[in-house]
Amino acid sequence: MRALHGLLCLGLGLSLSADPTSAQPAPRSILVESPVLTSGDAMPRVYTPDGQNLSPPLTWSNLPDGTREIAVLCSDFGAGNPPPWVHWIIYGIPATANGLPAGLPILAETAMPPELSGAIQGLNGWRRPYYRGPAPPAGTPHIYHFTVYALDQPLGLESGLDRDELLQAMEGHILGQGDLVPVYTRF
Amino acid sequence: MTDEQPRTISRRALLRGAGAAGAAAAASAVGVSAEPAVAPSPAAAPPAMQPAGATAPGRVVYEQLSADEADLLEAIADQLIPEDEHGPGAVAAGAVVYIDRALGGALSGSREAYRGGLAAFERYCRSSRGARFRELPHVDQVSVLIDVETGAATGARTGFAGSSGAFFGMVRSHVLQGTFGDPYYGGNQNFVGWDLIKYPGVRTAVSPGLQTALEAGELEPNHRSAYDADNFEKAVVSRATKETHHGD
Repeated sequence: MRALHGLLCLGLGLSLSADPTSAQPAPRSILVESPVLTSGDAMPRVYTPDGQNLSPPLTWSNLPDGTREIAVLCSDFGAGNPPPWVHWIIYGIPATANGLPAGLPILAETAMPPELSGAIQGLNGWRRPYYRGPAPPAGTPHIYHFTVYALDQPLGLESGLDRDELLQAMEGHILGQGDLVPVYTRF
Repeated sequence: MTDEQPRTISRRALLRGAGAAGAAAAASAVGVSAEPAVAPSPAAAPPAMQPAGATAPGRVVYEQLSADEADLLEAIADQLIPEDEHGPGAVAAGAVVYIDRALGGALSGSREAYRGGLAAFERYCRSSRGARFRELPHVDQVSVLIDVETGAATGARTGFAGSSGAFFGMVRSHVLQGTFGDPYYGGNQNFVGWDLIKYPGVRTAVSPGLQTALEAGELEPNHRSAYDADNFEKAVVSRATKETHHGD
C-alpha cells in the first residue's frame, strides 16, 4: 500500500509537471455550473449525437480578480491516443460573459451571440471548429470534463487552434480554472 | 464573431478545395477499363450530354436507387455541395444520377452499402432528431452529417454496418466524382462542376495562345467531354471493376 501511495504521488507529480499551468501560482477555483448538467450525472441525450448534439449551456462564477478573458475545453480523458479526446474548444471569450448558451453555432455563416463577441471555437479532436458531443462505445461510461479557464489578459489568438496550441498559448496566463464533469453512457 | 475572421470552415469551402484536385482523378476513380473503342450502349449512355444551359424536364428516372433512396441521397448531396453564390451544386450537376448509373456498373460493389447505409442514415435521423433527413431544418441536417461523418452514428443502434464515417466517406467521394468528373459518366451535367472550379476542359493540343490565356485565367471553357475528342478512345465503365466495400 505504501508503494502504491508512492506511485500515486509520483504519478501526480509527473502529471502536474506536464501541465503547462504549473509554472504559475495555483489557479483559483472557478465554480462551473449548468442548468442541464451535473458532475457525476448523465448528460441529457439532447447534448449528444443520440439527440440533437447541441452544445450544453454553461455558467461560471467566482472568477479571479483580474480575469480578462475566458476559455473553455471539453475533454474525455478516457479516449484519444494519447488522451484526452477533445470534444470542444472555445477561446477568446470576453471576461464579461458569465456563461455559454446552449447550441452554439456549427455553421460558418452563423454568428456567435453578441455577449460572446470575439469568441472563437477551436479545432476539436476531429479537427472541426464546433462542439461534437459524446458518443462512447456502448455500455462504457465516459467522463467529460468541461473546463473553464480564467486568463489574465486577452491573448489575441487566431482561429484554428487545437487543444495543445491553446494550452501552450495560455501558459503563464491562467488565473483560475474549474470543471463540470458529467458522464455519458450509450446503451 | 466578426465578418473579417470567419471561425468555422464551410463544408462547401472544404469540398471546393478537394474538388479541384478530384476532377482530374474522378474519371479514373470510377474504374474506366482499358478496353478500347467500345461505345456505351444507348441504355448506358448518361443523360449528361445536353447542350450547356439545358435543363432536364421532369423527374430523373433512377435505375438502381429507389425513389426514397434517391431523394435522401439528393438531400445529402445538396448539403455537401449546395448551390450558392458560386454556382450550382451537386444536385444540379447530377451527382446522384452519376451514383445511380455507376451502382449498376463500376460501383456495383457498393450497392448494398448504399442500401443499408441510407436506411441506417434515415433511422438515425428519426431516432436522434425525430424526423426524416429531408424534413429537418438546415442546421440539424448539418449536425446529422457531422455525427455520421465523425462516426457518432455508428453506435446508435441504427444499423450502420461498420463505421458511419466510412459510409459518409463513400458518399462524399462519389458525390465529388459525380460533380467534378467527366460528364460522360452521368454527372457534372452541363459542366457545372467544371465551371464551378473554373476547369476549362480537356485540350488535346495547347497553342502558345491558349497557354497564355490559361495562365492569365482567361481561357474560356470548351465544355467538351474528354470523350468528345476523336483521338480519345471510347472506354466503357467495367462492371468487373472492384471497389472497396464499406464496412470497416
